Amino acid sequence: MKFRTIIKKLNILIAICVSYFSTVHSYEYQDAGESSVSIIAESKTFEAGDDLLVGLSFKLNPGWHTYWENPGDAGEGASIIWTLPDGIKASKILWPGPERIPVEPLMTFGYEDEVVLLTQISSNKNIDFPLKLSAKISWFTCKDICIPQEAEVDIEINKGEKNLNKNAVSLKRVLNTLSKPFPYEYRLEKLDKNYFLQFQFEEPENITNSFFFPKDYGVLNYSKIQNLEKNNLSVSLELPVAEVQSDHKRLKGVLYIEEGDNVNYYEINTPLINEPQKELNQSIGILTAIIFAFIGGLILNVMPCVFPILSIKILSFIKQSGGSRQKLAQHGLIFSTGVLFTFFLIAGLLLAIKSTGESIGWGYQLQSPVVVSILIYLFTAIGIVFMTNLTIGSQLAQLGGITKNSSDLSSSFFTGMLAVIVASPCTAPFMGSALGLALLQPGFSSISIFAGLGLGFSAPYLILSFNPSLLQALPKPGEWMETLKQFMAFPMWASAIWLLWVLSGQVEILSVILVLLGALLISLGLWLLERNQLTSGYKKRIVQACVLALLGLSLWFIPTEYQNNNKDSYMNQNYYSPEKVAALREENKSIFLNFTADWCITCKVNEAVALSRQNIQDTLKEKDITYLKADWTKKDSVIASKLAEYGRTGVPLYLLFSKGQEPIILPEILTEDLLMNYLKEVPK
Amino acid sequence: MKFIQLIFIFLLSIFMNTTFAAVKTGNNVPEFTLLDSNGIKISLLEFKGKTIILEWTNHGCPFVAKHYSSGNMQNTQKNAKEFGAVWISIISSAPGTQGYVTNEEANNLTKSRNAQPDHVLFDKEGAIGRLYDAKTTPHMYIIDAEGVLKYQGAIDDAGGKGFMSKDLSKANNYVLNALNEIINSKEVKDHTTKPYGCSVKYKS
Repeated sequence: MKFRTIIKKLNILIAICVSYFSTVHSYEYQDAGESSVSIIAESKTFEAGDDLLVGLSFKLNPGWHTYWENPGDAGEGASIIWTLPDGIKASKILWPGPERIPVEPLMTFGYEDEVVLLTQISSNKNIDFPLKLSAKISWFTCKDICIPQEAEVDIEINKGEKNLNKNAVSLKRVLNTLSKPFPYEYRLEKLDKNYFLQFQFEEPENITNSFFFPKDYGVLNYSKIQNLEKNNLSVSLELPVAEVQSDHKRLKGVLYIEEGDNVNYYEINTPLINEPQKELNQSIGILTAIIFAFIGGLILNVMPCVFPILSIKILSFIKQSGGSRQKLAQHGLIFSTGVLFTFFLIAGLLLAIKSTGESIGWGYQLQSPVVVSILIYLFTAIGIVFMTNLTIGSQLAQLGGITKNSSDLSSSFFTGMLAVIVASPCTAPFMGSALGLALLQPGFSSISIFAGLGLGFSAPYLILSFNPSLLQALPKPGEWMETLKQFMAFPMWASAIWLLWVLSGQVEILSVILVLLGALLISLGLWLLERNQLTSGYKKRIVQACVLALLGLSLWFIPTEYQNNNKDSYMNQNYYSPEKVAALREENKSIFLNFTADWCITCKVNEAVALSRQNIQDTLKEKDITYLKADWTKKDSVIASKLAEYGRTGVPLYLLFSKGQEPIILPEILTEDLLMNYLKEVPK
Repeated sequence: MKFIQLIFIFLLSIFMNTTFAAVKTGNNVPEFTLLDSNGIKISLLEFKGKTIILEWTNHGCPFVAKHYSSGNMQNTQKNAKEFGAVWISIISSAPGTQGYVTNEEANNLTKSRNAQPDHVLFDKEGAIGRLYDAKTTPHMYIIDAEGVLKYQGAIDDAGGKGFMSKDLSKANNYVLNALNEIINSKEVKDHTTKPYGCSVKYKS
């Protein structure tokens, strides 16, 4: 230890001597262990009032490193204390971009081999030459172990015009490697647990490596991998959060971007998003959602698809009104169980499908032409059962339960199931978005919302079954019940017609006709059954075989795939079509065209943070800008070719047509302010 | 029954996720058992009812060395004992790395440095260090009588540039501040600070 101190002192002495006696030899490395430091300046002369770029140049032995201003999980950056003549000031250290130096399982940020820490020296007019700039430096040099080092270096500057020497070239080079302001738009999003730094970039595919070096402790985890996702013109870098969080308002740091041999560091400074408020809103939201789901369930009872089934079931109550109260209550409970069971079953199925990565909502089942067709058959059949005196055998107990004066408890369960199934087309248009929200919630909340819906749905029936006295308000059993039952066939068939319309949006008109034909065959089958209710033996077998054949044929008619038609474009006013754009441009109307897809995270974030904001919506309305949405969730050759026209192979793409003119392409990453600036340019 | 089990396992796995990460200030700390420098098994549970201070250490680390050569660490230990706290030094250095010592060396270090830890524990596998997310030497943790983590981070505010030339007796000692606040049943104001020092020499 003592020996080293002596050497150090000798070194300083030599350095001072050398700089004093020689004007050629301008600097000397101070060796202090595993690394050494020297001071260099861009010129040995300058005039009073000038600035001077000075650097402290560290040379490290192989395998050793020193630290950046934020050292990462351990270590410490260098400290420089200047001793300067009057009238001279030194800037803070300008740190070149660091590299990652892992010390498993930790991560540190620093420099290997060599590094120059820059300082800008400024002067006023009243200074005396020659000047002596001296710096006391203390730093750590580490490999697996750390060595604290200290050194004092100085340099003499004379009066004269700036005369850039060869050090100036290397200092300039270092200056160019400092972090620059980021020239593109960027923003920070928090999804799930981690942050995502999303930024635009000229050619993201050229990025070979990227990393964000945070400046503050307690925001990000230093050692976890930062996943890079490259889009068309934008990049998303996942920033894992630190296990232990400190209070910070902003995320500050340096973004490293490597494009082959071209390496750049950019300054990033952006607000951190506060979460807790959001959570609060959500918990209030769920409670209201459950209440609304209950009310929604109540309303479902009077929907054309459900009302007939439930009212017929209540009719069976009237017939049974002589029966025991206990039995009625049992029926009520079992019916409710059937309802809840089916709601949970459907919700479970949807959640399971969602977990495979498909983005779906409630009503997803109606996106399938197969499900829609089967429902059309079911509604037709129920209508016919209502209209005729058909009593269907035990194989179809669930249908039997509607009409038969059944004391079988299982029939109540099946009626509950059937009620939910026939209710599903009605829930989709009226409650689709509310139930879609339910599916987005984590498991428990989602189940609570469905439970609320199921309870609301079965509430009237449940109340009646526990208070049969309420039934006394209704007329006595009689002829009117048959009339009512037959009448109820019409809302059923009306529901079938509505489903046909849904189907017509999914498949070609010919396929719709085939499904109608299938419904006809099923009606024929039911008629055959009704005519032969009293026959027996081989004749009955033949009839049954015929009915099965008719059923098979009608099922075979069901279209299984989407077919090309433009109908669904017209189902939604905002739906994009090239003709629509052409027509609007003809009228010199302004258009905002959004190319999006459900699976595109950037699109969804843009829609959430910019497009759906009230301000933006108001401005769109005020400026009479037509909003059109081109949804690329399903494959679509028209949208694909349009994207290609603008040199894109994917979404998002935002086009703003001002008064029928050629469109402006908006940035891929939108913020409310940014979008507003573009919209402001559009004349009214 | 199977179904209920499944749900239980699912719920458990959600909660487990959080305990595997670092311990948050204000949460219960995980229990552990390690051998001390006298070969005796020491578990955290033994000290329930007392305030416990955990000090991650490595005598070869210049940061630690400065805290001991200046007498700052010993002074903190002495003060902590006056508060009735238990002081546990933990060495997570893997064999062959800096700071790894034998029982005898550890006891000699305690004696020669005039240090006063109640126990010096060995964590050569690094499991406990990783469990607590100890990053540096020194890295300090304070656990209250109920087993709740009240403080984690640096020993004081001397970290940062130019540490080696600082006068540690003038630094703001976070550990003693926190102890003071705990004794007086106050909230610990600076409950989480940035630890500074050498990296813990974990087994890789």
